Amino acid sequence: MAFLKSKTKEPLAPASPIRQSRSFWQDARKRFFRNRLAVIGLIIVSIIVVLAVFADILAPYDYDRAYFDRVLQKPLQHPEHILGTDEVGRDYLSRLIFGARTSLIVALSVQGIAVLIGVPLGVLAGYLGGRFDFVFSRIIEVMTAFPSLLFAILIISVLGGGLKTIIVALSITSWIGISRLARAQILSLREQDYALAARALGVKEWHIMMRHLLPNALSPILVAVSFGIPSAIFAEAGLSFLGLGVNDPIASWGKMVGVSNAYVRVYWHLALFPTLAIALTMLGFTFLGDGLQDALDPKQEE
Amino acid sequence: MTRYILGRILSLVFVLFAVSVIVFSVMHAVPGGPFDATDGKLPPAAMENIMRKYGLDKPVWQQYLNYMGNALRFDFGIPYQQPHTTVAALIRKTWGVTVQVGIMTLIVAFGIGIAAGMFAAYNQNSWVDNLVTFTTTLGFTVPNFVVAMWFILFFAVARQWLPMGGWGSSQCLIGSFFCTDWILPVIAYSLAPMAVVARYTRASIVDVKRADYIRTARAKGVSERKVMSKHVFRNAQIPMVTALGTEIPNLITGSIFIESIFRINGLGKFFVTSTLNRDYPMIMATFLLIALLWGITYLLTDIAYTVIDPRVRLGGRKEA
Repeated sequence: MAFLKSKTKEPLAPASPIRQSRSFWQDARKRFFRNRLAVIGLIIVSIIVVLAVFADILAPYDYDRAYFDRVLQKPLQHPEHILGTDEVGRDYLSRLIFGARTSLIVALSVQGIAVLIGVPLGVLAGYLGGRFDFVFSRIIEVMTAFPSLLFAILIISVLGGGLKTIIVALSITSWIGISRLARAQILSLREQDYALAARALGVKEWHIMMRHLLPNALSPILVAVSFGIPSAIFAEAGLSFLGLGVNDPIASWGKMVGVSNAYVRVYWHLALFPTLAIALTMLGFTFLGDGLQDALDPKQEE
Repeated sequence: MTRYILGRILSLVFVLFAVSVIVFSVMHAVPGGPFDATDGKLPPAAMENIMRKYGLDKPVWQQYLNYMGNALRFDFGIPYQQPHTTVAALIRKTWGVTVQVGIMTLIVAFGIGIAAGMFAAYNQNSWVDNLVTFTTTLGFTVPNFVVAMWFILFFAVARQWLPMGGWGSSQCLIGSFFCTDWILPVIAYSLAPMAVVARYTRASIVDVKRADYIRTARAKGVSERKVMSKHVFRNAQIPMVTALGTEIPNLITGSIFIESIFRINGLGKFFVTSTLNRDYPMIMATFLLIALLWGITYLLTDIAYTVIDPRVRLGGRKEA
């Protein structure tokens, strides 16, 4: 996703005669915080994370508390429901706050599984080559022929909806991109001179892989994960929007948009707030990812 | 070249085979079938008849071989949800709509995307460039069903300018073509690919602009317009073809979201109902179609590279 790169115009700090030595990560942090969009992204993401973690405290009502006498209230129509209520009388603000939790649980689990499966397989394929790599590449080739969303729908149709099923369904295809990236990284890194030098010095193969190659492959993988999170959020919202996602009464932004479709003529607030939540979250994570990419890949800077 | 293409076709066949095996086994991995909902209502004998009619009483591997045998003769079976028609006919009907949506979207996305990308690249680092960069970030970050919902809220609910949904059922320019209900879905659908195209175009033109042969052309006194149109644009085409290659199969296999939010009866929307009803023949046929489309577009993209840039040799070796 190199084309996602946003521009940071100012050059790095001018070289002073006595330059303090800085580590790669210190440098990266400096570059990150100089990027305005990245900081905005970080702020949005932090807010979402806080909402998700402390939803029980922050939300005025429980996500499944339904007031059957206050159904479909518009914002501010009822003094106790700032953003109104939904079609069964649940506080909309509370459902939005709990929706952040659902989004993050799915996104983080899917990306976590993607890393746990994808990175070891990709690294092994890149390092071992030969028959293992051949089989690996064929699997990747077949899996890329499946549009991941359609495949997720197929899995969900077999296993039934629900939070766990969504995570499983999205994980099955999510590791492929990361795995391919890890393989490509290792393939190019193992030919580097320092790997050769280590080998010449008699360092064990396993040690070369773990201590020399993997740390160098880390930052592209980190960037891939940071872009994987918004796409998993999108996938969860999309599936729930189609009615294939989490089951009631769990709050999900996508499901709220899907349900609102039937009421949109009159109850516009049902559609507006969850769509804003999805858009803001996606933007936040994308800005964060862009910022990380620029910060972690100084070679791209010109 | 021929050898390379033959090899690619062979690997496409392998992928199609693998896709069919995987989809078939996933569908049959869990007990239960498409006619579970009728359980209890039908006498066991009738149920047995149905199962026999669709071959569902046979072991799974035999069902698979039967299906693939028929599929090779272009007989994809009968959809369980609409038994009076065939899968092929149903796909033709729904896919026709999806292709219409896709082609309209493709035209809008590439037309505006390339123009915006070129404009941004030729005015690099100006406010136009920044605007394009910012808008494109929004374009591929915000999901299309979210944008679609905003469009509906504004253009159909707050201001009743355009219809909320449908395809070819409102006021049309010619027959059931170019209708007012085409506008919102096509624009909502095109924003993401438009953003990708604009980014690719901008990046590749900016890249080419710095090349030595452009400086040479200028030094020779070639007019600025000619440099831009003949030298820069021509060489910037490769990344655009890449974008085209990845976007086309996406677009013509249909956006499930756009089709369901605007109530368009296309393949995407139909795919969701098929999976929910466990309509095995429909699911298989849809997946095979999509995998085939992907494979063919990738191959065509690679061939297109050699046409645009004669330096590109497929298969990594020189032609004899």
